[in-house]
Amino acid sequence: MSHSHGNASSANDPRLPSAAKPYTPRPVAPEDLPVDYSGFIAVILGVSGVMFRYKICSWLAIIFCAQSLANMRNLENDLKQISMAMMFAIMGLVTNYLGPNRPATKK
Amino acid sequence: MNLVSLFSIALIAFLCLHHRVLASSSDFEGFDAEDDDVLDDSTELHHSLRPPLLTQSESTVLDLDPPSDSDSTTPASKSDPPTQTVKPSSISFDYWDEDEFEGLPEDEKSMESPVISDDASPAADPQTPDLESASETADTDIPKKKQSYTVEIVCVSILIGYAINYFTGKRENENLALAWASKFGLKDTIFEKNFSLLGVGEGEDSPLLLKEATNVFKFYASGRRYCHGLLATLELKSRHDLISRLFNSVVPCKDEISFEVYMNDEAMDHIVFAMARKKAAKTMHKELRDLQRFGGMVPSPGGRKWVTEELAVVSESKEVAGDMITDVVLDQVFGDKSFEKFGKYFISMHFSDQHPGKHRKMLLFKFALPDAKHMDDMVRLIALIPYYIDLIGRYKLSSQARNKTDGARQKAAQEAYKELENVRQEALQRKKAEKKKILEEAQAKLSAEALRKKEAKERARQMKKSMPKVKMSRGH
Repeated sequence: MSHSHGNASSANDPRLPSAAKPYTPRPVAPEDLPVDYSGFIAVILGVSGVMFRYKICSWLAIIFCAQSLANMRNLENDLKQISMAMMFAIMGLVTNYLGPNRPATKK
Repeated sequence: MNLVSLFSIALIAFLCLHHRVLASSSDFEGFDAEDDDVLDDSTELHHSLRPPLLTQSESTVLDLDPPSDSDSTTPASKSDPPTQTVKPSSISFDYWDEDEFEGLPEDEKSMESPVISDDASPAADPQTPDLESASETADTDIPKKKQSYTVEIVCVSILIGYAINYFTGKRENENLALAWASKFGLKDTIFEKNFSLLGVGEGEDSPLLLKEATNVFKFYASGRRYCHGLLATLELKSRHDLISRLFNSVVPCKDEISFEVYMNDEAMDHIVFAMARKKAAKTMHKELRDLQRFGGMVPSPGGRKWVTEELAVVSESKEVAGDMITDVVLDQVFGDKSFEKFGKYFISMHFSDQHPGKHRKMLLFKFALPDAKHMDDMVRLIALIPYYIDLIGRYKLSSQARNKTDGARQKAAQEAYKELENVRQEALQRKKAEKKKILEEAQAKLSAEALRKKEAKERARQMKKSMPKVKMSRGH
């Protein structure tokens, strides 16, 4: 290989500037993108956190939001889901901490 | 679809929230009601208690102090024990009741005082029990709060760790990608010597790497004979992601780099060839359509040097396999000795003129990436790429093999064409059927309406006919 390499550089340059084409990013269909599982989990956890008033669910939802935010591929599509999950998670936390106390704590 | 699902989820959430709010308010109401109930209960209790207390007070005048004392010392919640103690007395003194009704007003006063003391006990009564109860509640509250805070502390620390890991992992990945790019994409490096255009932008100072995600980088090169472009995709471990990092500590994965070389149409003969480790080669043979269609496992020929035993070759014919595995390649990478040294980063190689998709003639290489410090280890692997571009660009099949491959490709093309045709015809038939259905439905509707009209007319006629008859009959 090195010998062919040497051959190429000395005898004839493999480079062909005339054939150079600039990079054109391939358009990727949104369906082909990897599925954002963490965002999905975050939405589910967020909703269940709001529904059942589990603090842990809301917190986990926020953590998964962070994961899906970190893995985001600069697309609006992802942002929608993430923002929704975030909304639910924060809503769950707000209702949990600032909302009316549970009867158990009052008693 | 997405919107609908979003909306439905939002609706569910709203309903749940609504429900929850209602529940909480009902909780409140219930709570208040409970309080009221408690109060009512207590008043009722007192009311119900009156006669027995009276009897008790009357029966044992001296005993009046101890119960009141006990009442005052015990908090309101402990109103049950007295009733229990009282009840038997009431039962035992039931016979006395009628006689003692005269003293009712007085005793009511005497009764009221314990009631008042009972009510006021939490506020006005001796502080010691109150304090005790307060301290008790505080004691019970503190562990509860501690318990609840552990969740928050853990979650917030995870979040902080996540954020820190995000930035450090991102930098690690970037460093690795940059190390690779500077090793192979800068001046006097393999790619610079082989391609006239490097980088994803235009012009001289275009950036070499395109960052597609925090762990995916792309490197593009173009301007070389036999091919019109090369795209390298570096897929690194998701070091920026704490969760997948933890996951990867259990299920290890590698940093991978895959190259796609888009060959010129005229520069690539009929070649279907793949090489990988045995297991991977088998799965490739099963899963990749072109290998499945044209390729077959090639056993190592006895007469000559061949690739190391770890590797398996899938190819359209023995001739192609033999021509692709040259002595140079065996000597450099794939031979027994050299593969031990340099092969650990090799994953797979796949050349085909029948790739599905836009670019049909493509060479695919897949390697694992070494650490940033050990990039030298993969120089030989990277050097395979220009070598194979030249080899395949110059390669011409023998006429015999060409006939075979031509036949196979024609067959495949015919089959593909047939499939296409089938699909098209199916679509056409479906369309026709739909049209027919619509027409029939319309006709059915029309006919039904016509029938109805007819029926209505007939009915009207009959009615007209029958009406006078009825009148006639009435007239008679």
